[in-house]
Amino acid sequence: MTHLHVDELDRIELDDGFEWRPIRRAFDIRAFGVNAYAPGATGRVVEEHSESTLGHEEIYLVLRGRARFTVDGNEHELGAGELVFVQDPALRRGAIALTDDTLVLALGGKPGAPHVTSAWEAMFAAVPAGREGRWADAIRMHEEALEEHPGNAALLYNLACMESRGGRPLDAILHLTQAVSQDPKWSEYAARDPDFDPIRPEPGFPA
Amino acid sequence: MNDGYRVLSLDDLERLPSTDGELTLLPLRRTIGFQPFGVNAWLGANAGDQVIERHPEQGGDEELYVVVRGRATFTLGDETFDAPPGTLVHALPGTLREAIAADDDTVVLAVGAQAGEVWESAGWEDFYVAFAHRAAGKVDEGRAIVADALARHPGTWQGPYNAACFEALAGDDDAAFAHLAVAVGRAPAIIAKHAPDDPDLMRLQSDPRWNELFR
Repeated sequence: MTHLHVDELDRIELDDGFEWRPIRRAFDIRAFGVNAYAPGATGRVVEEHSESTLGHEEIYLVLRGRARFTVDGNEHELGAGELVFVQDPALRRGAIALTDDTLVLALGGKPGAPHVTSAWEAMFAAVPAGREGRWADAIRMHEEALEEHPGNAALLYNLACMESRGGRPLDAILHLTQAVSQDPKWSEYAARDPDFDPIRPEPGFPA
Repeated sequence: MNDGYRVLSLDDLERLPSTDGELTLLPLRRTIGFQPFGVNAWLGANAGDQVIERHPEQGGDEELYVVVRGRATFTLGDETFDAPPGTLVHALPGTLREAIAADDDTVVLAVGAQAGEVWESAGWEDFYVAFAHRAAGKVDEGRAIVADALARHPGTWQGPYNAACFEALAGDDDAAFAHLAVAVGRAPAIIAKHAPDDPDLMRLQSDPRWNELFR
């Protein structure tokens, strides 16, 4: 596949209320990060977040519609053809769509480093499989991502969630334990995460 | 830059024609100082204008083109297709690609980098902008960009070769020959192959120093 329209991309509505349209995955682009976002149920079109963990510089270009961006607490209303470049990864940024047809192109990468596919893409991509109870598919997507990001704690945690829901308690405990060994915060998350209800009574559950 | 971020419109960017007048660059990456990979916009002011030049990207970059507004006719390898706003076109290195504006005021965003490599500005942006300044009569501004590019990309043949072209077009033959001599010293076979057919350097061929350089 060499060309697609943004409206032909997969549309994955995420729990935070925005719709992810995966461009990089669609073309298997390896050299840079690129995705599109549309408003979901809440009207949010760009998740409120910083890039502190990944160290990315990001460009958000409004392809159509209109959105209100908040960057470092400052609001900017942008229309089609307007963009915000966030150079400082630590700045919190997000956007709310002002029209239903709003579409934002997001480009990102870390200066001075070869591009590495972000681990969160696999977690986002597995959301539909998880919602539909296709646990084997969701587990496979996480396992594939772990081959590219060995030991990634967030991926291990999410894999454990899928395994817990998918009837694989021993694998779930193993992977959750691996995540917790890297950062105790995953134990705190697991303690109140309903995904782990099926395995919470199991011996060795690390939370 | 507003404390770590910047808001702008593609219409705020300079509109820089190529030396042959076939292309118009909106120099996004250079304007905002984006460093992770290449990203620029190209304008086809009128239907029928070339928006993306015909080239195979032999340097190894994979590229994504995004039609931001207007409409373009893309050719990718053997395939030609209509590209309305919102079209994404992915081109692997070596694939011949071109886009022609099908509507007035067509803007295409071009994103590119080489997988697995740290991205570095290839220098073409600097020279493109320098040449555009020269053509607009802002020779000193263009010359300053050339000097900066040479300092940031030492040891290449492309830098001094393009600097020679710049000075030849600007009318400073002494500077042009000085740069050309450096380029010949770094890549004699490549320069000997390309220089005689380069229209930027044509005027220098009647100077005795040309034959001294290429004899």
